[in-house]
Amino acid sequence: MLPDRATRRVFLKAAGAAAVLGAVPSIGRAQAKEVKLGYILPVTGPLAFEAQLSLNGLQLAVDEINSAGGVKALGGAKLTLLPGDTQQKVELGNSEATRLIDAGVSALIGPFSSLVAYSVRQITEKNKTPFMLLAAVADNLTEGGLRYVFRVQPNGKAMATLTMSNLAEMAKAANAPIKKVAMMHEDGNFGTTMGNHVEGFAAKLGYALVQRIPYSIKSPDFTAELSKVKASKPDLVVISGYYGDSKIIAETAAKLRIGVNALVGLANAAYSNPKFIADNRELTDQLFDGNYWHNPQSPRAKAVFAAYEKRFSSTLTSHGVQAYTVIHVVKDALERAGSADRDKLRDALAKTNLADHILPQDAIKFDDTGENANATPALLQVQGGKPVVVGPARFAEAKPVFPVMRWHG
Amino acid sequence: MTSELFLQAAVSGLLLGGVYGLVASGLSLIFGVLRIINFAHGAVMMLAMYTTYWLFTLGGIDPYLSLLVTGPLFFAIGMVIQRVVIEPNRFAAEHNQLLLTLGLSIFLENLALVLWQGDFRTVRPTYAGASFVIGEALVEVPRLVACGGAVVLALALFAFLRTTDVGKAIRALAEEPEGAMLMGIDVARIRAVAFGIGAGCAAVAGALVTPFFYVAPDVGESFNIMAFVVVVLGGMGNFVGALIGGFIVGLAESLGATLLPGSLKQLVVFGLFVLVLLFRPAGIFGGGRGR
Repeated sequence: MLPDRATRRVFLKAAGAAAVLGAVPSIGRAQAKEVKLGYILPVTGPLAFEAQLSLNGLQLAVDEINSAGGVKALGGAKLTLLPGDTQQKVELGNSEATRLIDAGVSALIGPFSSLVAYSVRQITEKNKTPFMLLAAVADNLTEGGLRYVFRVQPNGKAMATLTMSNLAEMAKAANAPIKKVAMMHEDGNFGTTMGNHVEGFAAKLGYALVQRIPYSIKSPDFTAELSKVKASKPDLVVISGYYGDSKIIAETAAKLRIGVNALVGLANAAYSNPKFIADNRELTDQLFDGNYWHNPQSPRAKAVFAAYEKRFSSTLTSHGVQAYTVIHVVKDALERAGSADRDKLRDALAKTNLADHILPQDAIKFDDTGENANATPALLQVQGGKPVVVGPARFAEAKPVFPVMRWHG
Repeated sequence: MTSELFLQAAVSGLLLGGVYGLVASGLSLIFGVLRIINFAHGAVMMLAMYTTYWLFTLGGIDPYLSLLVTGPLFFAIGMVIQRVVIEPNRFAAEHNQLLLTLGLSIFLENLALVLWQGDFRTVRPTYAGASFVIGEALVEVPRLVACGGAVVLALALFAFLRTTDVGKAIRALAEEPEGAMLMGIDVARIRAVAFGIGAGCAAVAGALVTPFFYVAPDVGESFNIMAFVVVVLGGMGNFVGALIGGFIVGLAESLGATLLPGSLKQLVVFGLFVLVLLFRPAGIFGGGRGR
């Protein structure tokens, strides 16, 4: 018996549906030609300058990878950056992170401010999305057993303790050991973390922290604070601050004839910044900074610097180096995971062992809290108008000048 | 605290206080005449600083010379802002007028961010590093000039308000709006002039601080907040009170920095603010519009 009209129509519809369903996987595969990565940075607001430097680094790495054929394990899938603006505000960081996660990013990168990071990491953990920290230096960000947070740069503790050790070693070698340290830091999460570490490490390294002064970055005048520092007669002044405030502090310290062996930045946004140095040649000569940096001995680093200069008509900064490295770490993990799936990506990230990078350290490996186990800050000094690496010794490109006579007062 | 520290704190506090006083004088005048709280004051100062920067960088014009251009320019801009943005809304509720100036402030700051990015820019003329020592205290020449310039302008404006017809008209309008109208004063024009003068004060203050500060879209914020404290301290609408109040706040801030750890120096300033509001809301010098 032939099926009647109704059943034939049903059969045709079913066959049509089956045909479409059969075709869908191939459409789906054709569309997995991109991997979405979201970033959240303070693109507008007081840290806009620094955020742009990071963004340039992200862009450079993404374009480099895409023009070299994308992620090979995913059939040449291109990386796409989806933007998010936090304005350095926690609520916006949260909402932007949520929006990007909903838009299907495989990983989130950012957010610069440690305060914003502290809140966003809970959202990324809840949504099982890998969160690659950028610039945020507070130690507590990787605490608490979170599985989806990763940090490539040295954290606050590594930054402070390794820099102070490098300084102590250098001072001892120059027969001018560090006995008294004064510290000024911005009063947010970043500065306070640095202050805590410098204070906590004092007993171990054998120096006394004679003055610890938190300050507000909005202040137009630091004369009173620096007079207090001068009165406590330290051997060294350590400054953890952002661009504008660090500049005014250095200027005022110079005018007050502060009388120390050196002025040292600790993860300072200005003292190893090429723009700051270029704009203030006389002031910045022989300033130290312990900061994240690239490996000056690496040929690949030289190539990356040249590419950045060509594209952005300015010198690559350490913010850009970190951003560039983070993208490559993610790409390496994507290759090993063979998938843009967040959980697979997370597992691949946890097993990272990447030696081909431009940082001054051994291979990038994450410990079980997500910190880069081998992260090393470089000790830099401005010599001849450029910040050069003077420590650790195996990456150094010049000898340090210490004590710095012009700060002697 | 040693006498050395005290002297240094006093000197640097008073020098900065002069600038606070000028900024606050402008704000106080605007409040006295127009009865609006101008949140965009800091933003105007910021724009003037950018203007100073561009004139210095592109034209090689010294900031202390270019303020002869910047001041009148922003006086005119202030008048335009008042006519176009504020005057049409002058019968709106006070809190709405406040939101208007706040919105203007946000607009101007973000416009600066879009046009010139968040980069910090600096103007460093050759004399920027000059300084000398009084006793044990360091005096930086650019800060001294800024303070001096601020005081001179504030006193000149005080004289203007006392002696010229326009000045008297402004004071009349501030004291008794209806009476002023009845006496045939062109109150709309006087309102525009008063706002213009206020903007001009902020602009000149901006030009004066540029040699020792930096230029960025959010740079007006620190002065904005201080100016509000000074205005309340000096008595809202009390022009000279604002100038003296500026010195008091500058001194309080600086002494606070010496006595208290770091960023708590603001505590001294705001503590003073709260005390004045509690015990003398018309301002230390009274005669202000405490109501």
